[in-house]
Amino acid sequence: MAGRKRKQLAALLLMCAALFPTSLLADDAGLIVSAEASRKLAKGLNTGFEVEFRSRNNFRTADRVSLGADISYKALSWLKVSAGYNLLIDNNREQITYQDDEVSYNNWRPSYWGLRHRFNVSLTASRKVQRVTISLRERWQYTYRPSKIIDNFDFDEGEWEDYEVRGKGKNVLRSRLQLEWDIPKWKFDPFASVEFHTTRDLEKTRIITGVDYSVKKKHNFQLYYRYQISGSSDEPNIHMLGMGYTYKF
Amino acid sequence: MRKIIYGLFVVTMGIVLVSCQKDDTDMGDIIAQYQVEPAEIALDFSALTEAPDVPVTDEADSAYNDYVENTAWNKVISIAFGGETPVVTGTVPGVVVQTSGNHVTIVNMSGPVKFVVSGKTTDGSLKFYGDKRFQVMLNNAEITNPSGAAINNQGSKTMYLVLADGSVNRLQDGPDYVMVEEEDQKAALFSEGQIVFSGKGELSVVAQGRGGIRSDDYIRVRPGVKIYVNSVALDGLRANDGIIIDGGVINVETTGAGAKGVRSGGVMAVNGGRLVAISHGDTRIETVDGVADTSACAALYCDTLVTVNAGTLKFMATGDGGKGLNAKHQVVVHGGSFQAVATGTKKLKKPRGVKIDGNFSIDGGYFYTYSRRSDPLEVDGTTTVAPGYKTYDKGPKVLTISY
Repeated sequence: MAGRKRKQLAALLLMCAALFPTSLLADDAGLIVSAEASRKLAKGLNTGFEVEFRSRNNFRTADRVSLGADISYKALSWLKVSAGYNLLIDNNREQITYQDDEVSYNNWRPSYWGLRHRFNVSLTASRKVQRVTISLRERWQYTYRPSKIIDNFDFDEGEWEDYEVRGKGKNVLRSRLQLEWDIPKWKFDPFASVEFHTTRDLEKTRIITGVDYSVKKKHNFQLYYRYQISGSSDEPNIHMLGMGYTYKF
Repeated sequence: MRKIIYGLFVVTMGIVLVSCQKDDTDMGDIIAQYQVEPAEIALDFSALTEAPDVPVTDEADSAYNDYVENTAWNKVISIAFGGETPVVTGTVPGVVVQTSGNHVTIVNMSGPVKFVVSGKTTDGSLKFYGDKRFQVMLNNAEITNPSGAAINNQGSKTMYLVLADGSVNRLQDGPDYVMVEEEDQKAALFSEGQIVFSGKGELSVVAQGRGGIRSDDYIRVRPGVKIYVNSVALDGLRANDGIIIDGGVINVETTGAGAKGVRSGGVMAVNGGRLVAISHGDTRIETVDGVADTSACAALYCDTLVTVNAGTLKFMATGDGGKGLNAKHQVVVHGGSFQAVATGTKKLKKPRGVKIDGNFSIDGGYFYTYSRRSDPLEVDGTTTVAPGYKTYDKGPKVLTISY
C-alpha cells in the first residue's frame, strides 16, 4: 500500500514537473513556501495566521516574506465572507532607466527591501457538482506602500544620491475561478484555478494547478505549480513551485 | 508518506536558505566609468617657454604681411593718456589726430604709421579710420571706455597690435555702447580688419557690453604675447575669417548666456602656444517673430576647419548645454595637446566635450574630451584615428587618444 502511495505521489510530482516547461525558461522561476495556523472560533467562523516566503531569480533570490492574519465566516452554505491583513516585506527588484537614446544609462536603483501593508475583503461562492467543487472568489485588495529613501546612482552626475520612493496606495480586484476534485479513496485532492488581477488594466494572470493532502483533518499539505503572466514589462513572467502547510486546531 | 513530507520540508528549507543571492545587474565596473572626474581646466598664467619667433621673410608667403617686422615703421605718433586730454607727440603728414577729452580719433591716409600708446584713462578710447595698415604699440596702456570700445579700428587693413616687451596693458568697455551710425563696434577691442598680436607684453581685456576682442577679418597671435579676456556679455575672442595661433598664452573667460569663449568664422589653426577658454554661460533663448531659438555656449566654436598642429589647448563649458568645442565643419589634430570638458546640465541643450558636425581625424598629439552628462565626443561625419596611437580609450564620459 505504501509503495502505491509513493508511486501516486511520484506521478503527481512528475505532472507538476511536466507543467514546468523548459521552453519557457526565459521566464523567471521561484518558490513559494507557506505555513498557516487556522482555528475554528464558532460554527462557520474561522481565523488564521500565515507566514510565507517567496523566491525568484530561478530560486536564487529571496523575493518576499509576509505575515498575515485573516478571518472568514460562512454566511451561507455556498457563500463565505473573509477579510485579512498582510505585512509584506518585499525585496524590490532593481530598476534601470535609460536616456532618450534608449542605450545610455540614466539611473540605477539597486534592489532594496521595503514594507507594504495589504488589506483585503473577499466573497467566495462555491458549489459542489458531483465530486467537483466550483468556486468563484472576488477579492478587493488595497495595498499601501510607505515612502522610503533608497540609493540611486545618477549616471549623469556620476554619483550616488538618496531617492525617495513615494508612498502610494493601490486597489486591485482579484477574481479567481477554482475547480477542486474529490477523488474517492484517494487522499490527494487535485485543484486548478485561474486568477486575474485587475486595476484599470489586467495586471497579472495566475494559472495554478496542484494537490491538497490532509492528515487527520488537522494537517493539510498543498503542493502546486503556478504560472504568473505579468502585464508589465518591469516584471517577468514567472513559474513558481508552491508548498503550503496548514495546521487546524 | 511522513518521510516524503519531511523530505520535501528539508529540501524546501534548503532552497529557502540558499535564496540569498542578489539578482541585481553587476554595475561595479560601469559605475566606475561614470564616476570619473574630468581633467582640470583652469586659466593658466604660468610662464611659457617657446621657440624663437622667426618672422617670415618670403614675400610670397601669405603670412608675410602678418609680421610687423616686415614693415618699416618710420612714422611714429605717441599718445600718452593720464590727464584730461592725452599728450600726442609727433606728426605725420596725412594723419589727423583729434581728441575729445581722452577719446582720440585718428584718420590715417598716410601709410604704415606706428602709434605708441601709454598711460591710463577711465573715460577714453582710440578710434582709427583709414585703409592703411598701422601699428598700435601698447606700452603700459590702460584704456576704459564706459560707452563703447576701448580700441576701434574702422579700417579694413591690418592692425598690428604690439605689446611692448614687459608692458602690462588693459582695455575695458562699458555695459552700454553709444553707437555711431553705419559703424560697428562689436567688442572692447574691435577691428574691421585683421588684428595681429605680437610682442612680449601682457594684455587684459574686460568686456561688459559686448565681446572682448573681435575682428571682422582674421586674428593672428604670435609667440610671446600674453592675453587675458574676461567677457560677461558676448564672445571672448572672435574673428569672422579665421584665427591663427602661432604661440603665446591666451586665457579667455566668458559668462554670458550663449557666449563663446573663442569663435572663428573661418579656419582656425593652432601652431603653438597655449590657449585656455572657459565658458560659464547657459543656453541663450531668443525669440524672433514669436519663434524661440536657442544657442548654447561653447569654449571654442568654429564654423569651418579646425587644425591643431602644436600647442596646448584647454576648453571647458560649465553651463547648460555648453560644449568644450563646437565645430560646424571638420577637426584635424596633427599634434599638440587638446582637452575639452563639458560639465553643464542638459535642460535646453545637450552638453558635449566635443561636438563636430563634419569629420574628425587625428594622427598625432593628445586628444581628451569629457562630458559629465552625455557622450564626450559627437561626430556627425566620420572619425578617423590613424594607426600608431598609444592610447585610444572611450568610456561613457571620457575619450582619450594619444600618440
